[in-house]
Amino acid sequence: MTDASDNSAVETAAADTGSSDAETVSDLDAYAASLVESLGALGSTVEFDTVRIHVANDRWVETINAANKDLELFSWLSAIDWSKEVEVGDPVDDVDALDERFEVLCRLSSVKNGDGAIFVTVLPKVDPTIASLEPTIAGAGWHEREAHEMFGIEFDGNPNLIPLYLPDDFIGNPLLKSYPLISREVKPFPGDVDVEPMPQGDADAIEPDTLPEDEEDAS
Amino acid sequence: MTTPEMIHRSDAAVSIELQTPDMTINIGPQHPSTHGVLRLIANIDGERVRDVEPVIGYMHRGYEKISEVRTYAQITALVNRIDWVSGFANEVPFVVGVERLVGIEAPPRAQYIRMILSELARISSHLVFMSSYPLELGATTPLMHALREREYILELIEEVTGGRFHPNFNRVGGVKPNYGGGSTTKKQSMDLPAGFFERTRSAMDRMDKICEDIESLVAGNELFKMRTVGVGVIPADKALEYGLTGPNLRASGVAYDLRKVENYLPYDEVDFDVAAQNGGDCYDRYVVRLEEIRESAKIVRQAVDKIPSGPLQAKVPRVLKVPKGQVYSRSENPKGEFGFYIVSEGGKMPYRLKIRSSSFSNLSILPWILKGQLLPDLVAIMGSLDFVLGDVDR
Repeated sequence: MTDASDNSAVETAAADTGSSDAETVSDLDAYAASLVESLGALGSTVEFDTVRIHVANDRWVETINAANKDLELFSWLSAIDWSKEVEVGDPVDDVDALDERFEVLCRLSSVKNGDGAIFVTVLPKVDPTIASLEPTIAGAGWHEREAHEMFGIEFDGNPNLIPLYLPDDFIGNPLLKSYPLISREVKPFPGDVDVEPMPQGDADAIEPDTLPEDEEDAS
Repeated sequence: MTTPEMIHRSDAAVSIELQTPDMTINIGPQHPSTHGVLRLIANIDGERVRDVEPVIGYMHRGYEKISEVRTYAQITALVNRIDWVSGFANEVPFVVGVERLVGIEAPPRAQYIRMILSELARISSHLVFMSSYPLELGATTPLMHALREREYILELIEEVTGGRFHPNFNRVGGVKPNYGGGSTTKKQSMDLPAGFFERTRSAMDRMDKICEDIESLVAGNELFKMRTVGVGVIPADKALEYGLTGPNLRASGVAYDLRKVENYLPYDEVDFDVAAQNGGDCYDRYVVRLEEIRESAKIVRQAVDKIPSGPLQAKVPRVLKVPKGQVYSRSENPKGEFGFYIVSEGGKMPYRLKIRSSSFSNLSILPWILKGQLLPDLVAIMGSLDFVLGDVDR
């Protein structure tokens, strides 16, 4: 299956069941485009019912604050480490084409309907620094602390970037792709045993059995 | 008789500068009212709280990192341990997110079973609140009543899923697969246990009864009201700024419920109201949860009547190929918005999984809300936010 066909299948399903603001492909695309235009963002990605708005990192605070007027609820802030070499898990699909970077994500939602968008900005791998949202959106403070200790991203203007989860003397940023998972070093991936085909039956698919006709619980 | 030099005794008392140096006290991490292991460093001036610094992380299990070395099927077993009071409800947004990526949809019967069990999890979570919150304020009796009724709900969840707290019942494409017996036994269909719907209906009748009991026992109690009415008021704009969701947000006058706006389970086919209050104080947060038990019972009754027959699982490849993409899938957990941001690079494991847990944001308002409060109200306010530390730390 390709991305496009999956995407359209999901969008159609959403439209069929009739969500409150009738999200269809064109509606979400139009919504993303209107956000990009009104906020002066770099562009947008709409996939799998998820709207991502790309923002320049020097206009991060300004854009989020402007968007926060309509999308009132600050939902979360986090980051992704795009790295060519990974200590844990699978590397990215096309390693050679990958542009090594951090992505900082911030999700804002509307409380009037199902609207919402994830704002994305790109930071360099070396010395990643971005202005803090904490002075204007106080709830971002803890999320930035989390991103700071997990990824080592500096949030300029957040006065309280002390570790949130980890002990004070902990060294390293655990969610970096370069940070090893010690339990994985001593024990191989346990999921490998699960992907063997079953001894009988076709290995491709599980055929769903239909239920008996005279089902006693059906009412 | 009175000369300007003479001052009244009461004035004299006031003019004495009482030396009350600030005191820093440590609350927790082992404290009965902190719902797990939460530590508060409170700086207090007499009975007033000057500021509070919550210290979390005692329950940090690193699920976001572990998820990068687990297959999608294995992560389901992890996520129901995040908020263990409502394990089933945690699994739903994750599997819905993966289903969106893969492009399959669970059959209607599976979606209804998810909806019934999610609402049962909501009732069970709120009943824990109904039992623990009065206990924190000094009323021990409601604990017995609410936990007794919760057993009926947990038994229903157990007879369907096999687990009281960690069901691990959702699969990508449906619920527990309807084949079984391993390699030597013939394929056999499995469905809900016989008589499940009758027992669910009678349990819902019990829930209506316990709501009435709790309402007359606790919600109308004058002592309870004195401890909670007007205490810990969270205005709507502050709630939105700190990302409060769920009953905590709805008590502040924002009737925001993802069951109404997000299309993840067939909630549009059942009729229910969003419980909301305007005061934003501890009492309103309590009342909203009490109302939500009633509304959930309403949803379960309708879902049991309307549940369609059919398979429990869609046709799913045995080795799940998840295409490249990023999806944010969220649901209305008993404690608020619960979401997963799944970054897939086409492998069998996610490249990155961000877990947006409701209690983390709900707890982050503590330093703001506790500033200037009386020390005894600290416990009342903290309890009214209804967080679970496993959900905070992940």
